[in-house]
Amino acid sequence: MTKHHPERRQAYDEPLWWALFSAGGVCFALFVPSAVLFLALLLPAGLLPADALSHQRASSLLFGLPGLIFVGATICLPLFHAAHRIRHGLFDLTLGSDGTNKWLMYGAAALFSTLALGVVLLGMLR
Amino acid sequence: MTTKQISIRRYLPERDDAPFWQPFEVPVDDSTSLLDALHHVKESLDSSLSYRWSCRMAICGSCGVMVNGIPKLGCNTFLREYDAEIRIEPLAHFPVRRDLVVDMEIFLEHLAAVKPYLIDDAQQQEATETYRQTPQQLARYRQFSNCINCGLCYSACPQFGLNPEFLGPAALTLAHRYNLDSRDRGKAQRMPELNRHDGVWSCTFVGFCSQVCPKHVDPAAAVNQGKVESAKHTLIALFKG
Amino acid sequence: MHKPPRAHPPLPRNWWLKHRFFIAYMAREATVLPLVFFIACLLAGTVALLRGPDAWQSWLGFMRSPPVVALNALALAASLYHAWTFFQLFPRVMPLRLGKRAVPASLMVAGQWAGVLAVLLLFVWLFGRA
Repeated sequence: MTKHHPERRQAYDEPLWWALFSAGGVCFALFVPSAVLFLALLLPAGLLPADALSHQRASSLLFGLPGLIFVGATICLPLFHAAHRIRHGLFDLTLGSDGTNKWLMYGAAALFSTLALGVVLLGMLR
Repeated sequence: MTTKQISIRRYLPERDDAPFWQPFEVPVDDSTSLLDALHHVKESLDSSLSYRWSCRMAICGSCGVMVNGIPKLGCNTFLREYDAEIRIEPLAHFPVRRDLVVDMEIFLEHLAAVKPYLIDDAQQQEATETYRQTPQQLARYRQFSNCINCGLCYSACPQFGLNPEFLGPAALTLAHRYNLDSRDRGKAQRMPELNRHDGVWSCTFVGFCSQVCPKHVDPAAAVNQGKVESAKHTLIALFKG
Repeated sequence: MHKPPRAHPPLPRNWWLKHRFFIAYMAREATVLPLVFFIACLLAGTVALLRGPDAWQSWLGFMRSPPVVALNALALAASLYHAWTFFQLFPRVMPLRLGKRAVPASLMVAGQWAGVLAVLLLFVWLFGRA
């Protein structure tokens, strides 16, 4: 039966997106709850000690190796997680074509990940 | 004897262009299965009703229908579980031939594509030896080998509904089942099918397939373990060049 | 000779509204929308931090505005719902064995929640003091 040639239609890129999606999913579940709680809820509400995130202390925490890890775990990997789910969500809602959506989503995730890492690196160089 | 009303979505292509709903009043007691109710309709109320069935004991996998929008086997679904309306339709995501009978050709094609049988070229030359398998080796694939090919998981899978070329839960589970079998040497032949977009990568772990599976096979787990295997396979292929 | 399979009628765009299970699935997928908002806030915060104390102060002001707080509260709820679903999937995708025994799924789920707690304690240690 020569129905098709599966070996010619291998999705060599999908394992990469899935690995990034999975790693991002772990970060979204492990790190994002605490990050949202502290940085987006307690901090603006003034419930953290006054100088816990002063400009000076925040800079010293972010612009270093721990900052790179933080940005990777709360921005870069979760971005790829979100990109993957939005891409599949668009397919679920039959919006656009998957080929285009794919590159738009992962492209945007890569762009903003680079931006976030670039900001940290710039801060480290100062 | 008490009775209940069931509504069946009828489709008689030689008579009507479109399907229509037809209500039937059927006698019920605590042990009345949906299949019993369909038998009653065909024998006593309307002999033109078409549906598939065979074993009545959830092993042949032929009596799958949608009950209130959820894929079920008629033989192990009991009318006592339903208080209000009972709406019976042919299995979703398959073309309907007539009444509750669907065309499962595409499902069978997907099953065949993953070569769901033991492949062992070395053994075929001198096929007199019996295989030996330890309980641990059996345990690796046992859960995934209980599939009865009823197709309920395909009717539960929106990804198959959106893209009929997706190999789907049962086929990918069967591929994984044979890949896990210590007697099998056919993984290299199956992986190219799994590695495609229409292979494991179309699955988004909706998980409804595992909810509706009458044999508790957990196809969603098998498909996603298949993604891990596909990722490994791709990585190895990359290093080999 | 291969006969092309006859396709069933295509699913309507609102297929996921037809069943509770599919609505829960779509809610799980949609948890990334408030996540993207939070990431955007965080990204703006890192840029503000780089630009200096004034920009940092105005970012803090932005983070205090009620709609931003509301969306970030939604992001917290979404991240916990995501964690609840994601942790359950993990043992099914990657079942672990210790020796000859399979690690029970409930233990793997509990282990992951312990991880969430550990990160929370790390944050308390980092930001609970000046």
